[in-house]
Amino acid sequence: MLEVKGLRKVYEDTSRTVEAIRDVSFCVGEGELVCIVGPSGAGKTTLLKCIAGLLAPTAGGVIVEATPVVGPPPAMAVVFQEYGRSLFPWMSVHDNVMLPLKQKNMPAARREELVRDALAAVDLKGVESAYPWQLSGGMQQRVAIARAVAYEPHVLLMDEPFAAVDAQTRADLEDLIRVLWRRLRVTVLFVTHDIDESVYLGQRVMVMSQAPTVIMEDVAVDLPDERTQLETRSMARFGELRKHIYSQIQLAKQGWRPPAG
Amino acid sequence: MSALGPLPRRIAVALALPVTLIAAWWITSAGSENFYFPPLQTIVQTFGKLWFSPHALSDVVPSLWRFSVGYLAAAFLGIAIGIPVGASRNLRNVLEPVLEFFRAIPPPVLVPVLILFAGIGNEMKALVIMFGCIWPVLLNTVAGVRALDEVLAETVRSYRIGRFARLWHFTLPGASPLIFTGLRQALPIGIILMVVSEMFAASDGIGFALVQYQRTFALPEMWSGIILLGIIGIVLSLIFRAIETRLLGWYHGLRQSQRAG
Ligand SMILES: Nc1ncnc2c1ncn2[C@@H]1O[C@H](COP(=O)(O)OP(=O)(O)OP(=O)(O)O)[C@@H](O)[C@H]1O
Ligand SMILES: [Mg+2]
Repeated sequence: MLEVKGLRKVYEDTSRTVEAIRDVSFCVGEGELVCIVGPSGAGKTTLLKCIAGLLAPTAGGVIVEATPVVGPPPAMAVVFQEYGRSLFPWMSVHDNVMLPLKQKNMPAARREELVRDALAAVDLKGVESAYPWQLSGGMQQRVAIARAVAYEPHVLLMDEPFAAVDAQTRADLEDLIRVLWRRLRVTVLFVTHDIDESVYLGQRVMVMSQAPTVIMEDVAVDLPDERTQLETRSMARFGELRKHIYSQIQLAKQGWRPPAG
Repeated sequence: MSALGPLPRRIAVALALPVTLIAAWWITSAGSENFYFPPLQTIVQTFGKLWFSPHALSDVVPSLWRFSVGYLAAAFLGIAIGIPVGASRNLRNVLEPVLEFFRAIPPPVLVPVLILFAGIGNEMKALVIMFGCIWPVLLNTVAGVRALDEVLAETVRSYRIGRFARLWHFTLPGASPLIFTGLRQALPIGIILMVVSEMFAASDGIGFALVQYQRTFALPEMWSGIILLGIIGIVLSLIFRAIETRLLGWYHGLRQSQRAG
């Protein structure tokens, strides 16, 4: 489904070069929900942008649905870290969700239906005609998610989407992602720096080292598929997993990296 | 903003000074024997006779026509050139020195040159107006395109939004606050050049009429012509304001919500 092979990314300016990603390889199966955690500045956004075809890798490459990525792949949607800035301030909520659909060849009625369903799925009925800046941060984030959902992507990339919302909204949005993922059978790659969030959401958690980045560990999350904030988070296994990942991140911050190969 | 209070009071505040000035002019000039400064009453009577007659149309209509053609051509060209220039650093590097040079030329000096190419007809005047008005529009469009939000640009790219939709739904609205700044700056320039170009070589127009009155020492007529130009300026800027309020409503709302938040 999605394959990253020997990816390396070096930012080169006239003044300095930054090796953000050294060597990252992994596979994501169809319909999987994989979380990526790593310390700030680990190159998570860089990795996501390479997968999204927004940045050209320095070496290696990405394959999505059997096609090498050279530009943004057709069946992919990205929810950006700076969600507030990713909504068009001159368009209503409805038009923001609609715009990408206009590129798709389908009857107008079907488009309207997709917009309506997506906004209903993120619990945003009744604000269709509002401008994004008239909404709260959590609502804006849900508009960005609705836009991605309405697009009917096969792959959904999310970059720290809940970093700027309050704890309660965050818990709600996490559950929303689980619900949407299970309902739409979409492949999700979810970047976060929150260890609890990664364990709660993911089927797998990939721990990234500091830049220049390699993958420290690929942890399988063997928690039941049915997850609720209260129960799942108080399971013994949840605690073990988060402790394990926490120690990995501590190692990463101290600069430890897995032996090459 | 909020200190202004309700609408009737705002109107009263806006009109207070103009009314006082007119009253002062009216009273001090009443019964004036000074040939150069006739009583305002005489000027107003002349104004009514002169500019509300069918004959007046033969001067006002050509002027407004030249202004409209020149201004709208400048607006169109300024935006059409400004968008690719703003989007491409290479184009900017090539064009900037040339643009700076042309911008430094005071437009009225072009009148004699343009008479050679375009004669003394409407084309010449519209060209002079266009040449003066294009710079603020062009430079502000370039700045507006350069200031387009990067996250929004990546959103457009990742949803594979096509060229036309990109221009219409992203580039133009995103740059529109600065484009409107340029258009507003061009408004008085256009009026000045309209009058100046008609003073040089013309057989009709407000500028032509003013020179005629001055040469024949028709002082009340001359003063009333100057007042007419002032009124035209105000009406044009009111029309402009109405259009801007409609098209940039989102921008003012966004700014206000950013200030509040
Ligand atoms: N456009 C750029 N030019 C140069 N260096 C960059 C650029 N973008 C990112 N970097 C560098 O690459 C490294 C990784 O950045 P990246 O934004 O991918 O990290 P991140 O893991 O997403 O961090 P955060 O959790 O803070 O979002 C950092 O050292 C950063 O300074
Ligand atoms: Mg990031």
